[in-house]
Amino acid sequence: MIGLSILLPVVAGVFLLLSAGRDAGGDERKESLHALHVQTGLVLLLTGALALYTAWNGADTCTWFELMRRIPVYFHIDDVSRLFVTVVSVTWVLVGFYSFVYMSHEGKERRFFGFYLIVYGVLIALCFAGNLVTLYLFYELMTLTSMPMVLHNGSREAILAALKYLFYSMCGAYLGLFGIFFLYRFCDTLTFTAGGTLNPELAMENQTILMIAVFAMLIGFGAKAGMFPMHAWLPTAHPVAPSPASAVMSGIIVKAGVLAIIRVVYFVVGPDFIRGTWVQTAWMSLALLTVFMGSMLAFWEPVFKKRLAYSTVSQVSYILFGLSVLSETAMEGALLHVVFHAFIKSALFLTAGVFLYQAGKTRVEQLRGIGRQMPVTLWCFTFASLALIGIPPASGFISKWYLAEGALEGDIGVFGWAGPAVLLLSALLTAGYLLPLVTNGFFPKAGLVEAEMAEHIDGAETGTEQVGDPSALMLVPLAVLAALALLLGIFPNPLIRFVSGIAAVVL
Amino acid sequence: MSAILLAVVVVLPVLGGALLPLLPFQSRRQRQVYIEGVVLVTSVLALLLLFHRPEERIVIFRFTSNLTLSLKLDGLGTVFVGIIAVLWPLATLYAFEYMEQEEHEVTFFLFYTVTYGVTMGIALAEDVVTMYCFYEMLTLVTLPLVMHTLTREAILASRTYLYYSLGGAAFAFMGVIFILIYGTTADFVPGGVLDLVKIGDRKNLLLLIYVFCFFGFSVKSAMFPFSGWLPKAGVAPTPVTALLHAVAVVKAGAFTTMRITYYSFGAQFLCGTWAQTVVLIPVIVTIVYGCSRAVKETHLKRRLAWSTVGNLSYILFGTALMTPSGLVGALSHMVFHALMKICMFFCAGAVISRSGREYIWQLDGLGRRMPKVFAACTVCGLALMGVPGLCGFISKWNLVKAAIESRNLLGYVGIAALMASALLTAIYMLTVSVHAFFPAKDSGSGSTERVSVTPAGAGHATPVPYDQVHDPGWRMLLPIGIFVVAMIAFGLHPQPLIDELTRLVDVIH
Repeated sequence: MIGLSILLPVVAGVFLLLSAGRDAGGDERKESLHALHVQTGLVLLLTGALALYTAWNGADTCTWFELMRRIPVYFHIDDVSRLFVTVVSVTWVLVGFYSFVYMSHEGKERRFFGFYLIVYGVLIALCFAGNLVTLYLFYELMTLTSMPMVLHNGSREAILAALKYLFYSMCGAYLGLFGIFFLYRFCDTLTFTAGGTLNPELAMENQTILMIAVFAMLIGFGAKAGMFPMHAWLPTAHPVAPSPASAVMSGIIVKAGVLAIIRVVYFVVGPDFIRGTWVQTAWMSLALLTVFMGSMLAFWEPVFKKRLAYSTVSQVSYILFGLSVLSETAMEGALLHVVFHAFIKSALFLTAGVFLYQAGKTRVEQLRGIGRQMPVTLWCFTFASLALIGIPPASGFISKWYLAEGALEGDIGVFGWAGPAVLLLSALLTAGYLLPLVTNGFFPKAGLVEAEMAEHIDGAETGTEQVGDPSALMLVPLAVLAALALLLGIFPNPLIRFVSGIAAVVL
Repeated sequence: MSAILLAVVVVLPVLGGALLPLLPFQSRRQRQVYIEGVVLVTSVLALLLLFHRPEERIVIFRFTSNLTLSLKLDGLGTVFVGIIAVLWPLATLYAFEYMEQEEHEVTFFLFYTVTYGVTMGIALAEDVVTMYCFYEMLTLVTLPLVMHTLTREAILASRTYLYYSLGGAAFAFMGVIFILIYGTTADFVPGGVLDLVKIGDRKNLLLLIYVFCFFGFSVKSAMFPFSGWLPKAGVAPTPVTALLHAVAVVKAGAFTTMRITYYSFGAQFLCGTWAQTVVLIPVIVTIVYGCSRAVKETHLKRRLAWSTVGNLSYILFGTALMTPSGLVGALSHMVFHALMKICMFFCAGAVISRSGREYIWQLDGLGRRMPKVFAACTVCGLALMGVPGLCGFISKWNLVKAAIESRNLLGYVGIAALMASALLTAIYMLTVSVHAFFPAKDSGSGSTERVSVTPAGAGHATPVPYDQVHDPGWRMLLPIGIFVVAMIAFGLHPQPLIDELTRLVDVIH
């Protein structure tokens, strides 16, 4: 079952890629596109169902083959895999349906959906990975297969952005690999075990080099999660990628970095090894710095998708900060934020996509009065924003509460109060960079009527008169994600119980 | 299996090559069949030897009573023999199709085949004198291949190659003399032959000579600061750069350093001394240096040559760790790099001969015209980067494992260098694939303007119009396909090979 849920999307994606050459024109194109959508939709739904079924009911271990002696490609499903695979599947399928409409204006759909399906399969494998080498294998594959989604539109800018993404990720991956080599030597096994597998004797002898290795891994896998100093690829890659691609990259792929860090720290090295050391201090400092810096940059950024990208930089470091505290409550907060941020940020990028697709608007100041034309879209945006800022009862409030509480009760010295302070400050900045869009969208200033008129004339000239809420296929995934962002905050208890189960096991 | 065969596999290609201009061939096809026949017979015999290793040695020639030219096949030799015996027939097949567009085919194949025998000689050499003789001969027989096109550039390159190699050989010769004087025997013995009683308090002198000798032999494997000749020699026809400058000649350099380190001076004598530090530092520097130069280079073949410089130093790094597991890492990278780099060069050669484009920025959109070649090229790139599931990862893993086990601080630095070089590899290899498969929109792939802006002096080949570019014929594609399959197979199931290498190396300590 595990193998099937991984291979099905990958094989389907490869078939799409092989047939990518014959994109017909005219009526034929319309028909073949329709067939493509049906196929892709079916594969997405089937894979989603398979992955969820496997995660929650199916066999929980599976070995493919031995890569090297004592290093098999091995899958094992535990609660962390279940959490991540659920988030990935829900988001991936919803965004997939959204992109059927969206991608019609980007073109080369076969190539896009081919890679989209392959990355989905790779991500499922990543979630199910049962040892560090398997995780690394799929981590690299994820980078390589998601890169073509960034350069999709083929402009020089997009290609440079994709290469930047690639090289930051590769740099991160190799830092991670550097650590894996040492862990292989100093751990009893690389199989994920709650609480860590470090060999105490060897670890005591080689403490310095192990610390360096673990720190290298944090920085390395942190690159994918957008942690300072390797965050710079996010704001470059997101604006040029097609919006659905940015949505899943920001919502899901950055979480792969988080997953890798969770696996390394809590399942291989063990939290006790780095508690109270310079590694933990440095990690907390970097995470907090990134939280603040990301929000600040988002606040000053006028390009909408870039603003959202900086916001991701900041928000994912909330998660990393929660993990770095190494206390149960903070970890619960981090895991909750993984779920919430995935849904919220995907929803936000999808609205950005709607604005771009329906009205061709990319900059924040162009969005004044947009609420009159696309009320439903802007309402979705509003709910997602409230959730991200953390206004109760929306979901972000819960995760941030747990993060702050965890920091306050954790034994981490000055960070105990500095952490919550930075989180609070960043929440204010989040409100500062998201809410003006809502207020200006619904209530444009009176003086702007002329500007709006002028814009209408522009619109008439370029022939984009059909400005309004998009079709149902785009709107429903967006609405579902926004609703999830809101509802998970109102009914959080099952989820909280689940993540506290995870935290209790590893800490 | 009789020891005579050892001499046969060395002499047969040398004679077969030398007779080439004398035999009256009716057509090119006949000549090709003859050459492939000679090479194949040699390879089959060589592979037979691997499975039925003769215990005794064979003396070809006696200089004096104790200086002989003699051959014997031992564990380390089998690895090198195996590599070249598999690659040579495939490379020859590829060369047939490639060389149809070049001149002086007969001369080319003459030296190409003779080189096979000489390289076999290095692999089979029983003692340090024999190895040295074949090593010198290798320089001389490959020289005409480098200057094949007889352009000014080619002649300058061959001159550089000659000076570097002869200079290196001179330093290596010092080592040979000292081994003859201070060793118990000139033969290769696992663990070394030095006579500690004879050395007495002259240990430092011997270490100094080892350093000279190591540097001398590693000129052939292009260690910094002696790496300049390799990219220059890239003016040779691609079958030469692919087989000789990625496998035979440069790996002969690595092979000879392994011989003198583990079989003459002895790893135990050297491990932990200042000599080890002195050789490790330039090796680590070269790992990063070669890859950085590759990133800077925009000429496709020269970029690959710089990449070879970096990758050869992976092998030297494993060698210089002076532990058995280091040698296993070095040997596995020797095998895998041979596969990856020859395949990569074959792809480059196919691109250059079919499209007339030599620079990376000219490759925009060619992936759609030559999908098979560029797909293979991407797989090679990923393997060189060390993506798990392909063979490059396995050898890197073994090298790093050895470095960590060696508990040498420079070993740790070496690991960092390996990782940095992997990143640089990603940069210089994947940009090629990205150019080919995802051309930038505004570059107007294949449009006539684009072709005409090619500077006149960019190379001797003229770009073929975009629409007429296509995948090459089966004689070029078959070797490429075999290598790709081998890379994936070794990447997914390397354990039998690694076990075999470990077994070969176990006798050393």
